[in-house]
Amino acid sequence: MNDIIDNNPQSSLPFKFMLMVAVSAVIMAVDYRGTALQPVRTALTMFAYPLKYAVDVPFSTYRYLSDYFTDHKKMATENRQLRTTLNIYAARNQKYHSIASENRRLREQLNAISAVKEHFLLAEILSVSGNTFRRRVTIDRGANENIYSGQVVIAGKNIYGQIDSIAPNSAEIMQITDTDHAIHVRNERTKSSALAVGTGKTNLLELKNIEANVDIKEGDIYVSSGLGQLYPADYPVAVVSSIAYNSGDSFMKVMARTLTDFTTTHEVLAIWQPKKEAITKDIEPQSQLKKNKQKEKIKKKQKTVNTKPLPKKH
Amino acid sequence: MHSASLRFTGAMLASIVLAFVFLLIPLSDTLLLWRPEWVALAFIYWCLTLPDKASLLMAWFAGLFIDIIFGSILGQHAFTMIIVVYMSLRLLPRISPNILWHQYIVISLVLGTYLLLNLWIMAATGNNPATWHYWLPLLSSLIIWPIYSWVLSWFRVERGRFDVF
Repeated sequence: MNDIIDNNPQSSLPFKFMLMVAVSAVIMAVDYRGTALQPVRTALTMFAYPLKYAVDVPFSTYRYLSDYFTDHKKMATENRQLRTTLNIYAARNQKYHSIASENRRLREQLNAISAVKEHFLLAEILSVSGNTFRRRVTIDRGANENIYSGQVVIAGKNIYGQIDSIAPNSAEIMQITDTDHAIHVRNERTKSSALAVGTGKTNLLELKNIEANVDIKEGDIYVSSGLGQLYPADYPVAVVSSIAYNSGDSFMKVMARTLTDFTTTHEVLAIWQPKKEAITKDIEPQSQLKKNKQKEKIKKKQKTVNTKPLPKKH
Repeated sequence: MHSASLRFTGAMLASIVLAFVFLLIPLSDTLLLWRPEWVALAFIYWCLTLPDKASLLMAWFAGLFIDIIFGSILGQHAFTMIIVVYMSLRLLPRISPNILWHQYIVISLVLGTYLLLNLWIMAATGNNPATWHYWLPLLSSLIIWPIYSWVLSWFRVERGRFDVF
């Protein structure tokens, strides 16, 4: 009798199995409904990060070495080209400075509040592949560098995506081509707007809500409209690659190629945009939590200011 | 009864870590579509070779890690991964685990269920991949299985040969 029991150590298996199915179901429901499990996700991400990093090391080393051993001649020409572009940019920058100072003067005359400079942080993408049908990447900067969830990320001068979840030393970016992602855009030529929704495919967006009579051509460039209140306005997003219309439909099926090439981008810029409340002071970028706390403090102060003078009147 | 055992303590965990390394290797987009289900295959391997050591709890945590890496909803792969282990253990007495085409039957059934459940959960939460490419990993898993099981066999040792008992 004892032998039978000893030989069957997995006899509690169905019970364990049912229990764990129930636990998983509860977790899924909670995670789907809200953000209560975000700390768990963050903690587990911290465990997964070393593994991701270790797997990436050979690949980043290969990139580094192949850069290191490129042809000297090629490097020289590249260097010359870069110097030329640098000079061009320096000249343009000079122009920008004069415009900026002029802008400041004009703003002073108008008694307008001065615009605050945007802060940037360069982050490197750990080139790890996640889910095949989602477009998410991990970067090597995180909450320690004040990265916050919902922050805008750009590559070059084009929009790349937004920060989704953060851990102390890493963060996950949702690219604009992710199926969960949508960005409001405007046609640079005709100023008509559309919603650019991710397809889950590399470098491909679908422009939704474009009516059949709208003036649109292949090669039209769409820029961010700034209407979603997340992305800054007038950053290039995508160029129209194909237009299809089935007679009888009210909308056209328009596909657009992103201006960022997601397969070759290895560095991205995270931006801190000045919030409207923060415009009065040139404050350092802070984590979202701190910002929220500060907002509460300001509100409390305002309340006390509002309530104190009232008794004096009576 | 015990014709094989683990090569060292924690060998099973080490093999799962190896599976995660395979999972995390950066691939081009076309290759990514063909990526075999490394972690699920590793668990099937252990269920077929050392069924009394196969652990539901380990599978659950491995699934949770996949959820973190994939950014899928927390608990999705944890749930489907314990289904993998439970189904493999339940199918085991009905087959001869040393015959390749018997193994193939188990893998197709188990991985098919695994992928189908994942698809259902993804569709229910609004991330339907909506393409037949979703099923390519099943095919590539079957193709890679003989090599992969040979790699994983390093993590265990045959005991029967030198045992006098």
